Amino acid sequence: MPSVRDLRDRIRSLKNTQQITKAMKQVAAAKIRRADALQKRSRPYADAIGAMLRDLIANVGSVDHPFMKPGREDAPGGVILMTADKGLAGSFNANLIRAAELHGRSNANLAWYAVGIKSRNALRRQRGETLQFWPLAQGVMFDNAQELARRVSDDFTQGRIASLTLVSPKLVNMMTQRPEVRPILPIAPSGDAAADPRSGSVEFEPSPEFVLGRLLPKYLEFTLYSAMLETNASFYAAQLVAMNNATDNAKKLIDENTVEMNKARQAAITKEILEIVGGAEALAG
Amino acid sequence: MANTIPFQLITPLSVKFDGEAELVIVVGTEGEVGILPSHAPFLTALRPGVLRANVRDAGGAPKRLELACSEGFMQALPGKVTVLADMALEPDEIDIAQARADLEAAQEALRAAGGELAAVRAAMAQVDFANAKLAVAGVT
Repeated sequence: MPSVRDLRDRIRSLKNTQQITKAMKQVAAAKIRRADALQKRSRPYADAIGAMLRDLIANVGSVDHPFMKPGREDAPGGVILMTADKGLAGSFNANLIRAAELHGRSNANLAWYAVGIKSRNALRRQRGETLQFWPLAQGVMFDNAQELARRVSDDFTQGRIASLTLVSPKLVNMMTQRPEVRPILPIAPSGDAAADPRSGSVEFEPSPEFVLGRLLPKYLEFTLYSAMLETNASFYAAQLVAMNNATDNAKKLIDENTVEMNKARQAAITKEILEIVGGAEALAG
Repeated sequence: MANTIPFQLITPLSVKFDGEAELVIVVGTEGEVGILPSHAPFLTALRPGVLRANVRDAGGAPKRLELACSEGFMQALPGKVTVLADMALEPDEIDIAQARADLEAAQEALRAAGGELAAVRAAMAQVDFANAKLAVAGVT
């Protein structure tokens, strides 16, 4: 049975841990508000560019752009794995990496792009190769997204990858983030391409093909940017939950150990009294 | 009261303007385009340049809007005008010294680009954007 002193030390260290997890929880709560605001501010752009793209495709009819045609068949399929840069967020990163692994198991020939330090580390461990990677939350996120978009679109149009898939978390709500695997390239001409009835005959300048040629890379860029925003927000949400649980667990352990310590102290006192009584009786006897 | 149309200027980072406009002038790839209310449906790609608009502020008073925009798109529908740009900077958001440095770097890149078409295009876009920033900031 541990001594009172051991237990007191253990409780002290648990209290320190609890303080740290509580602080991290508060930081995560503040950061998630910021990440969420950033995501909300990007939504009008998402809506507008999506609407433009739909109008365009509806007007152009058959589309002749490399992004909308299947890539070279013998090339590997490109996969972007997006994770956070840091851990301490429960199974957040592990879930994403597992989703990517599952995807890798059903598709043999793949080329990977890593976004986020955890993603790079996992891919490096698994495949033993160093890939180009982009940090998630260091530097300007939009610049990172642009660079990533440039790289993958070059690889796609030049036939180095046959398609592009994105593995990233979906922020269902603050408590739930789910890894999501979705195809990015080639862009499927969406079935709901019914044009806005108001835009019956749209004039394009200089030509629909030219505008589409400009719009599609932007669309890709923005899709990746908003996925990065969502990854960031999901990470903080996961961290908030993880740190909340950690704080609760620390509290439970502190309570258990306190009970233990009180018992130990009581036992020590009882033992002492018994000894005194025993001694007194021996003297009297 | 003059005729107005809902006008939105949107970047990935924020909605720069959302209100009523009498006139919106953008720099399209084929030259400047002015949009008045009830313009025919129209969609164009934008070159980096100065966006000018006569708008109404929140109180309904006329206001002149000038922003340096990077590449983007403009869509005019019967009921609204939408401009999408990577960046749209108001005069007080522009660092003149930085813009001058950007212009020089872009001109240097243009010289270095040689005959490579994509590089020339990228450099020219940067030159245009730097010039637009300087113009909006009131420096020539």
